[in-house]
Amino acid sequence: MLWAALLPSDISSDASRRTEATSGLATWCLQFTPRVAVIEPLSESPAVVMELASSTRLFGGKRRLAARVREESADLGVRQLSWAPTSLAAVALARAGRSNGFSKPLDQCLDGLPLETLVAVAAHQATLVRLGCQTLGQVRALPRGGLSRRFDAQLLAALDQAYGLRPEAHEWVQLPDSFAARLELMSRVELAPALLFGARRLLLQMSGWLAARHAGVTAFTLRWCHDSMRSKSAGDGGEMTVRTAQATRDIEHLTRLLAEHLAKVELLAPVGDLELIALDVHALDEKSLSLIPEPQQAGESLTLVLERIAARLGPQCVLRPVVMEDHRVEWMQHWQPAPLARPRKLNRSVDIPQPTFVLPEPLRLATRNERPVYQGVLQLLAGPHRVEGGWWDRVTEDGKTTTRNVARDYWVALSEHAGVLWVFQTRLADTETAWFLHGIFA
Amino acid sequence: MAAVLQWAGDDEEPVPSSFPSSQHRTRGRRLPARPGELPPEVEAAIWRGNELGSPVTHVLSSGFHDLDAELPGAGWPCHSLTEILQPQPTVAEWRLLAPVMRQVVAAGGNVVVVGPPKTPHLPGLRFAGLDERHLVWVQAEAPAERLWVTEQLIKANASGLLLSWLPQARQEQLRRLQVCAQACDGPVFLCRPAAAEHEPSAAPLRIQLRFGVDWQLQVHLLKRKGPTHEGSILLPSVPGGLESIITPRLRRPSELIAARERREAREATHAVGSTAPERHLKRRVTAH
Repeated sequence: MLWAALLPSDISSDASRRTEATSGLATWCLQFTPRVAVIEPLSESPAVVMELASSTRLFGGKRRLAARVREESADLGVRQLSWAPTSLAAVALARAGRSNGFSKPLDQCLDGLPLETLVAVAAHQATLVRLGCQTLGQVRALPRGGLSRRFDAQLLAALDQAYGLRPEAHEWVQLPDSFAARLELMSRVELAPALLFGARRLLLQMSGWLAARHAGVTAFTLRWCHDSMRSKSAGDGGEMTVRTAQATRDIEHLTRLLAEHLAKVELLAPVGDLELIALDVHALDEKSLSLIPEPQQAGESLTLVLERIAARLGPQCVLRPVVMEDHRVEWMQHWQPAPLARPRKLNRSVDIPQPTFVLPEPLRLATRNERPVYQGVLQLLAGPHRVEGGWWDRVTEDGKTTTRNVARDYWVALSEHAGVLWVFQTRLADTETAWFLHGIFA
Repeated sequence: MAAVLQWAGDDEEPVPSSFPSSQHRTRGRRLPARPGELPPEVEAAIWRGNELGSPVTHVLSSGFHDLDAELPGAGWPCHSLTEILQPQPTVAEWRLLAPVMRQVVAAGGNVVVVGPPKTPHLPGLRFAGLDERHLVWVQAEAPAERLWVTEQLIKANASGLLLSWLPQARQEQLRRLQVCAQACDGPVFLCRPAAAEHEPSAAPLRIQLRFGVDWQLQVHLLKRKGPTHEGSILLPSVPGGLESIITPRLRRPSELIAARERREAREATHAVGSTAPERHLKRRVTAH
């Protein structure tokens, strides 16, 4: 078992403030392990303990985990960080100002500690001192039978639990569903960039909360409250929302972003309190640390992204083709919104050369010497290919019924600038004929 | 280890011609004697300024041997943008990309086209290996929409090949796309006007594509990882489906055009003296 105890530094006399400080710290701790508990939250020196033995490998070993906890907890305003095999021993060592409970056997570490380090023992401090006991070791040396008869059961239980003779039971801290943390600043702050020091502490807590939920934030709000000595015109305080393009919980990135925004803020009055709220939280995919690279499935599926695009542009803008069994170029294929079901059987398509781009409407070409002109006179290469028919295809538009009958001679034409074109010659109403551009072999 | 592999590979040969490891050893002993030359394993690890950069990313072969020889990594790069600059859009894109599209579709990938100026025609694209299950057309008209759609598709990393027409993209927008594209597994092609040649761009590969009359594509690499590219590469390319109808006479359309121009010039001089409309008509018909 590897227990860490953290003592928050500035403990206010207000009970609710004290709970806020410890619960914020506990939230940050939850990123390392789900086994986090608050010990004696209402006592003089509450402590947060966490059990890390099963998390060491995930965080790259005991040494690196300890270094990370030490560094980040200092930013969070932790006065003392101690390590021990049991939680009460870690708390006792922390209160005594020692950090390492693994240097010697546990009973040797604990025996020299004063009575105040365990709350259950400190309750009987006056009696025990009169008995001549100054340290935990001396209390433990007293006969157990007499100790249990003369003092309450908690004293012996706490001693046994601290020395690892009796199992400990904790009420684990639950991760809150949403994140909102408050911080009372140590002194009144008059300049906005100076708020960053306090805000960073809250950001650390938020990043711990996000890590425990495997999520990242895309928007968060920093609120500040002016202290009570403000002028009336200044109001209660202000707030600022910071948004990021991608969900993140990178503390350096968030701090930098916040610093940029705070540089533009002008405070109307000195600030006493800060509050940080995570607004938009999104699940964040983490890189797997396995040795063998997994088949990459980063990103979402095409269906999802097309759905999102269709939601913004309209369903008629995201299209998939369906080949129709028709020999007329306009009705040879049909574009339908992507989510619609396609016919199971693929339709046969014509096997003659077809252009790769078609114009939505055939473009009438000018002629010079009876030759079609499109960016210069066209050189006709191959043809004619006669496409005729369609009298069966009647459509009614605006009350007028027309048949889509076509009679066209298609040619492959070449333009020196516009590429290989698919043009056709057709008969107009009277005897004259006209050339149209219909597609491009691009 | 090398010797073992060599033996295993040459099963049908009873006696290998030379013992590879001993040969390697003698070469290794001989080389340091000559100054200015490096051992082969060191030589292979050194990149020189006049060589093409070999990208660490994955590439897909372009299908044209001459083009592969000039492209860094011998193919279209994945994980980055490729710009195709053309004087006119929709003249030769599919012809250049047909081989790579065939590979992408064969691997089960989708081809997504964003904002083409004309309607893609699937019966013709079938000759480029596409079928109706692997083609998606996103109609985006406004420049901002085109950019947004392109970025979403790149970020989603779901399309096997992305072809986007961005005639009005600015350089900072392209840089943003390039940053996104580094996480995208498929190749991303952006079709832009030839005038964009003079604007800086973050795309690591920029090519200038021109249409050649004699069933060719002229490709000039404006920007690539490696030395600058001089001149242009001529790629033989017949649009899909037209191979079957091209007769030997049509192999060189430039000669047909030249002949027609000569004839027209001659007729123009004739026309000054005498008018002979019947002869005009007859000649035109034979030219077809």
